[in-house]
Amino acid sequence: MKPHNKYDLVVVGGGHAGVEASLAAVNLGLKTLLVSMDEKSVGRTSCNPAIGGLAKGQMVKEVDVLGGVMGFFADQCTLQSKTLNKSKGRSVWSPRSQIDKLKYESVVQEYIKNSSLRVLGGEVVSVDIKNNTICGVFLRDNTKIPCSSVVLTCGTFLNGLIHIGEEQIKAGRYGEERSEGITECLISLGFSSGRLKTGTPPRIKKNTVDWGVGEAGYGDKNPKPLSYRTARFNPKDEPCYSFRTNEKTHSLILENLSSSAMYSGNVKSTGPRYCPSIEDKVYKFSKNPSHVLQLEPEWSNSEQIYVNGFSTSLSEDVQLKCLQTVKGLENVEFIRPGYAIEYDFFFPSQLKNTLESKEINGLFLAGQINGTSGYEEASAQGLLAGINSSMYVKNKNPLILKRSDAYMGVLIDDLILKDTNEPYRMFTSRAEYRLQLRSSNADQRLLQYSEDFNLLNKKTIDTLAKKIQHTKDVVDLLEKTSIKPKQINKTLKKMGESSIKESIKISSLIKRPTFFIKNVEQKILNVPKTITQNNFIDEIMFEAETIIKYSGYINRQQDEIDKIAVYEEKIIPNNFDYDIIKSLSNESREKFKKIRPQTIGQAGRIDGIRPSDISILLVYLKRSFHVKQKK
Amino acid sequence: MPFVACSTPLGTSGIAVVRLSGKNSFDVFKKITKTNAKPVHAVSKKYKVYDKKGDVFDEIVATAYLSPKTYTGENMVEISCHGNPVIISKILEICCSYGCTLAEPGEFTKTAFLNGKLDISEAEAVSDIIHAKSVEGVKLGIKNLGGGVSKRIKKIKASILSCLANIEFNLDISEEDLQPNLVKDSLSLVKRVHKKIEYIAKSFKSSSFLVSGASVVISGPPNAGKSTLFNRMVGSNRAIVTEIPGTTRDVVEKDILIDSIPINLKDTAGIRDSKDPVEKVGIKKSKEELVVADVVICLEEKPKKPKKNHIYVFNKIDLGPPSGEYDISISAKNGKNVEGLNKKISSALAVSKSGTEAQITTLRQLHLVLKAKKSLENARKHLSTDLSLELVAEELSQTISFLDMLTEKTTKDDVLDVVFSSFCVGK
Repeated sequence: MKPHNKYDLVVVGGGHAGVEASLAAVNLGLKTLLVSMDEKSVGRTSCNPAIGGLAKGQMVKEVDVLGGVMGFFADQCTLQSKTLNKSKGRSVWSPRSQIDKLKYESVVQEYIKNSSLRVLGGEVVSVDIKNNTICGVFLRDNTKIPCSSVVLTCGTFLNGLIHIGEEQIKAGRYGEERSEGITECLISLGFSSGRLKTGTPPRIKKNTVDWGVGEAGYGDKNPKPLSYRTARFNPKDEPCYSFRTNEKTHSLILENLSSSAMYSGNVKSTGPRYCPSIEDKVYKFSKNPSHVLQLEPEWSNSEQIYVNGFSTSLSEDVQLKCLQTVKGLENVEFIRPGYAIEYDFFFPSQLKNTLESKEINGLFLAGQINGTSGYEEASAQGLLAGINSSMYVKNKNPLILKRSDAYMGVLIDDLILKDTNEPYRMFTSRAEYRLQLRSSNADQRLLQYSEDFNLLNKKTIDTLAKKIQHTKDVVDLLEKTSIKPKQINKTLKKMGESSIKESIKISSLIKRPTFFIKNVEQKILNVPKTITQNNFIDEIMFEAETIIKYSGYINRQQDEIDKIAVYEEKIIPNNFDYDIIKSLSNESREKFKKIRPQTIGQAGRIDGIRPSDISILLVYLKRSFHVKQKK
Repeated sequence: MPFVACSTPLGTSGIAVVRLSGKNSFDVFKKITKTNAKPVHAVSKKYKVYDKKGDVFDEIVATAYLSPKTYTGENMVEISCHGNPVIISKILEICCSYGCTLAEPGEFTKTAFLNGKLDISEAEAVSDIIHAKSVEGVKLGIKNLGGGVSKRIKKIKASILSCLANIEFNLDISEEDLQPNLVKDSLSLVKRVHKKIEYIAKSFKSSSFLVSGASVVISGPPNAGKSTLFNRMVGSNRAIVTEIPGTTRDVVEKDILIDSIPINLKDTAGIRDSKDPVEKVGIKKSKEELVVADVVICLEEKPKKPKKNHIYVFNKIDLGPPSGEYDISISAKNGKNVEGLNKKISSALAVSKSGTEAQITTLRQLHLVLKAKKSLENARKHLSTDLSLELVAEELSQTISFLDMLTEKTTKDDVLDVVFSSFCVGK
């Protein structure tokens, strides 16, 4: 066999993390190889046919502004698009798209074909290390592929074990081989690993469902794309249908609990609490008389239907019997049953905030291998690992997002400082600066990074920079333009709002909860033509309004962010010896030694660390700094 | 924002030192002293301190230190005031009302590190001090909080946490309306908790007397028997007593216990028009003491508009019955009914004596409780007007973080734990 040329980067795995990582690296000019056990599965969405959702939609927007591809690809195969949480505050509005899974795969593979990314079908079983530095990977057939950096995105494939009732199948996904070797290799290098569990519901045949029973759910009337780069967006608006379980379903599940791999004790690892199996829901929340099942098409006019809400590891015949108790599903047939899968992951506290290993230079880990769950969480990590492996190869400063910058920053910071014992999913409540991290301002938060790291083409950057400038202009306009009582009191009266006695700035009216820009006559506000002609005019007006409505809270949060910013810049050397500090409590010392925080800011966010520990740490850092200078 | 703290140990002393540090510390200082002079580095000067109403309540010596040649590296002011806990608390309170925050333990030193003001040996020494402080601080904190309040605050925190979890569930997971009464239930909980917090805040004044003592001043016209009463109450001939009006020139004070409340009792110069320069100073001091007193024993007839914290006492009942209206009649000379006066003093201080009552005892604790109260009020506003649940969540998290500084830390995971244990999450 012809020896392989040396690559700058080898990405192992072709799921969402792998695709983002390799395309980001290619975009930054790296000679990149993506190795997947099955070339045809690159870009596969293994679970639900949707991208985005609560907190996840915000991340998709962030990924998009940082040059990632998930939102852009999803826009090309959207079946319906909806903004969730619209009845609640704007910071928690989250876009979600139902997608055509088959088309998604082909869009990804087509895009890769036209890029300079090389794809190789094969199984990576170990990494080659010299001087604690990556220098290549080995395939199953012992071929060595030399490279300067590696991103591991193995998903659920490492020693994957599928459970369907009593039955156990070694696999990475249903019908796909699992991967063996990488776990053992990393453990021999000193990594520590654990087992996690996740599940997926059954897929059923479309023509075995009585669709008239279900309640149809459609997307938004005026759908918006996930990506700022999507020029045309006309999704089909295919409906999903909801059905409900009943007491019969529940008693049947309880009777057969022992057939569940989870309850019979066959699955030893922890599953996610936020995506419980149907047996979990029935068992733990016995008060709920009924649970919703959402039947979603997996692709356009799909024969295969995804039963959202029925994740399970019951045996196949019990699953079927239970589903058939649901009104409308009496004659349902399976394409394949639901299953639980157990897999290896590596404790992410072994990584830096760049997703590079603390011990091995050039080795990056992203996605489910880090104990997360979800396409969007994977994509976010993949993108950062791709960018930062590129920075590593080019010997440049890495991209590090702060908790106040993005959900992606919250994600990485949480991963490396906390030990997950269940798959980590993003929630808006994980972000202390939730009010700042809106899906509508991802561009304002992150465009500067895209410019600095060259992540988007110039045209996109210019378009977004203009959008941001115009938003600022409208905010200024609202803060400067006065409105007279006679210009608005009639409207206020009609709205049931209290009238104004003297001229006030329009912005102070906007701060009222139920008053909006649209309530002001256009000729009073007089937005310049250059702005009204912007393609993003709707988004600009919406965002300007939001900025003013939230200003009090945003300013307060900004004060907090500024106050702690200084700690994020205080670096703790990787070899810092915590044992010399006698005044630290043992518990804190052990935590510091295990996690090895990179900055004082990180140290302070470790659970159970007290402010006095941080003060003491600061003293000693100061000292070692002086000692170094003297030398 | 500048921060402020009393650097000398709490309790009665001759002089106490209050320090301010921060970019704007001079601005605050100018406001409390009503001066406009430009501060000169390391020069000490005499000033008067004014309360919000504009009354003088202490004379101080203050030294300004200009950044960067200061302990913390920031602009600093060192105030030497009279070492009376009431005066110290009042100075801290006024500084806070102009935007200062109360310093956390070790904050001056921490700021000094951050600004690179300490060398190696100093740094090491300081580390030990911080450590010692933190252990002591924790012990002190728990002791100060007492079992009652700590338990009560934990309970309050738990109810806010469950309310927050309900709201987070609604924001983060529920896309359907699974919680029809969310707003109504949250509002009634917030109102209930607000009441409890308000009660704790109110308990501060009475409980702070138990720790730092109350200031009780004897006042009245010359020769009314103030010093006799003072001596009677302290149980010794501490103050000079003569027949000559205007004998007491300076403020004479002594710490005593009345009903187990530590009291700083003060005898003052009788207030009258005097040409004697020494007596004049004494009279001025008397007036200043009256401003900061918690209770005034006034040996005068009750005026038409009696002052709230004054007890109007008829003295010299041994010489004949009173004419006119008084709160109580006594004889300082033979001790008749002084016990009754003591009772009146302790009830005027309104110290709640029930041992299980929740009490906070330091100004720092009070500030946290007041901040928590304010956040709850904002949450209540959002719940009853615009229904912006994410803003309600923001205010409730703030409330919890203020209460966290009184007890132990709550993390984001605690909220999620409650969500996961109370709801069937996921479709």
